[in-house]
Amino acid sequence: MLEYADLTAILPHRHPILQVDRVLEVEPGRRIVAIKAVTGTEPCFAGLAEGLPQSAYAYPPALIVESLGQAGAALWLLSARATGETPEGTLVFGAARDFEFLGAAYPGDVLRHEVVVESLKPNSAVMRGETWVGERRIAVVGSMLAVARPDTELAAGPTG
Amino acid sequence: MTQVMSNRMNELREVVAEVLEVEPEEITETSHFVDDHEADSLRAIEILARLEKMYKIEIPQTELPRMENLRAVYDVVKQYAGWQD
Repeated sequence: MLEYADLTAILPHRHPILQVDRVLEVEPGRRIVAIKAVTGTEPCFAGLAEGLPQSAYAYPPALIVESLGQAGAALWLLSARATGETPEGTLVFGAARDFEFLGAAYPGDVLRHEVVVESLKPNSAVMRGETWVGERRIAVVGSMLAVARPDTELAAGPTG
Repeated sequence: MTQVMSNRMNELREVVAEVLEVEPEEITETSHFVDDHEADSLRAIEILARLEKMYKIEIPQTELPRMENLRAVYDVVKQYAGWQD
């Protein structure tokens, strides 16, 4: 099991955008199970108006994608560490396909991401995954692509 | 072109069209992914990853620059899948 401090040593993300709290299981090169607890004190719920319905407190789908993607990034980096093939540069979330939202998560819920490797190369990774809240599956992604880009290329701006 | 070749070409066309988010008919054997279909390097990697999965082959990323149109993709897959035609 990897705790939050371990995750900060693996992922470049930091508060408040580090969206993974703990890794429950990891098989490098194969799969990861990671969790993120959603609370009412998330920055995304700050400053909301009074009297809103419960639906206003659904955790934003964009952040669920981010959180699931970070679980995938942790899997990639842990896998790379295991084989000694650390990707060079910065990891970039390239594409997500066949993303489906089947439910919502609210303050008090724990997101459980299960991500599986489709393909790992020195500078790119393809994975698929699911997000669960207890026994409810709330999101599925058929394919996520991440790539490692040289920092110099990123600093220079988009090149297409 | 034999029937086998044309079936394979159409299969590849479907994969490319899905990734590039265009209609399969828009992709000819020589239409350029970047110049004609607004592909970028990420799309190219996606195409490569899908082909690897579909045909259970490994294509080195050094082949990416070569895969600029459907004809070139066919040739690359043919090489790594060991197709005889």
